[in-house]
Amino acid sequence: MDMENEQLISEEFTFAKEKEIAKSFSKSFQWEMIAIGLGQVSVWFILWPMVIYSIIPLWAGFLIATTCACFAYLPSHEAQHGNYSRGNPKMKWLDGFVGHLTLITLAIPYHLLRVTHMKHHAYTNNPIKDPDYNNAHGPLSSVIKNSLDGSSINYEKYLEVFESDKAFTKSFNKAVPLALFFRASMMVLVVLFPLETMLLWWLPAKIGTVYTTVYFSWYPHQDTGEGRYKDTRFWSHWIPRFFNHSMQLHFIHHLHPGIGHFDEPKAIEALKPFMIARKVPGAEKIPDRISYNSLINIT
Amino acid sequence: MKLLELILDWKMAWFGLIFLGSIFNAIAFELGMLENSSEITYICYAFGFILGLVAKLRGTWTWKTNS
Repeated sequence: MDMENEQLISEEFTFAKEKEIAKSFSKSFQWEMIAIGLGQVSVWFILWPMVIYSIIPLWAGFLIATTCACFAYLPSHEAQHGNYSRGNPKMKWLDGFVGHLTLITLAIPYHLLRVTHMKHHAYTNNPIKDPDYNNAHGPLSSVIKNSLDGSSINYEKYLEVFESDKAFTKSFNKAVPLALFFRASMMVLVVLFPLETMLLWWLPAKIGTVYTTVYFSWYPHQDTGEGRYKDTRFWSHWIPRFFNHSMQLHFIHHLHPGIGHFDEPKAIEALKPFMIARKVPGAEKIPDRISYNSLINIT
Repeated sequence: MKLLELILDWKMAWFGLIFLGSIFNAIAFELGMLENSSEITYICYAFGFILGLVAKLRGTWTWKTNS
């Protein structure tokens, strides 16, 4: 936040107060998200024998696998922010455990998404340093196309951008063997079970990646600039928020990543005056009550 | 390490041969095209390989305009 603007904000809406309120919503143990992450990947694993032994048809398996893929990212996202361990070193294993397992459905290594996501938070909407910049800007059609052909997660160029950041390059390189393992697994499976591999893993992972990119990157950051209170917006459209992981509320996550996903509606209700005072894009349209509100906008 | 680099350098061709070839072959099988002519299998894998090889030479897949 610019110092000049900071002085213009009344004492009622200071950053210290905002942080204190946000902190009160950053304590819950996120068992729901763990259940979603481990649940979807378990269902996805069970699908394989069920389809191979013709217990369910392949088309049904494809629909279920695609749903699993759409649910795969968010539990890992909470893990990337350490929101399961919440700073407890003894619980840190849980972040990695959930983060790795839930991403099997999308066939993307956890370490890769974790390090690039941290840079996305640090440099949101910076055309050079934000690894998600191309996923958040430009026409929706090209964002979808890039997600389908794999360019949306082609983060290799950021190894050069952050070459002096040893922690970044170390984590990035840690992801490489797992990425190779995913590819090799798919190559072996496709020889044994070609259509099953395509319709239970490859295509659902593509669709899940498109879904995640569109709702987690493109919608929340569309037409926004750089700066703590400017880089993510409140938005709404005709789809009820429960179908897009409530990404209408993503701005609060960018301001306070420690707030658990299911605590965001209550946190926003409490922080709404701060958001309006800080001129968060779209803040004036935030309803007074968000819980169970579908946030539909058909205008 | 050299071998791994070589394999990765040709990853698009491998993807075409193994992944796309297997898919084309499975579709041909489902359509009953392999019943009378097993050579179709070779054509399926060759077609997948050619797609991958073209992608390797272009530096990007045929349906992409930029790398």
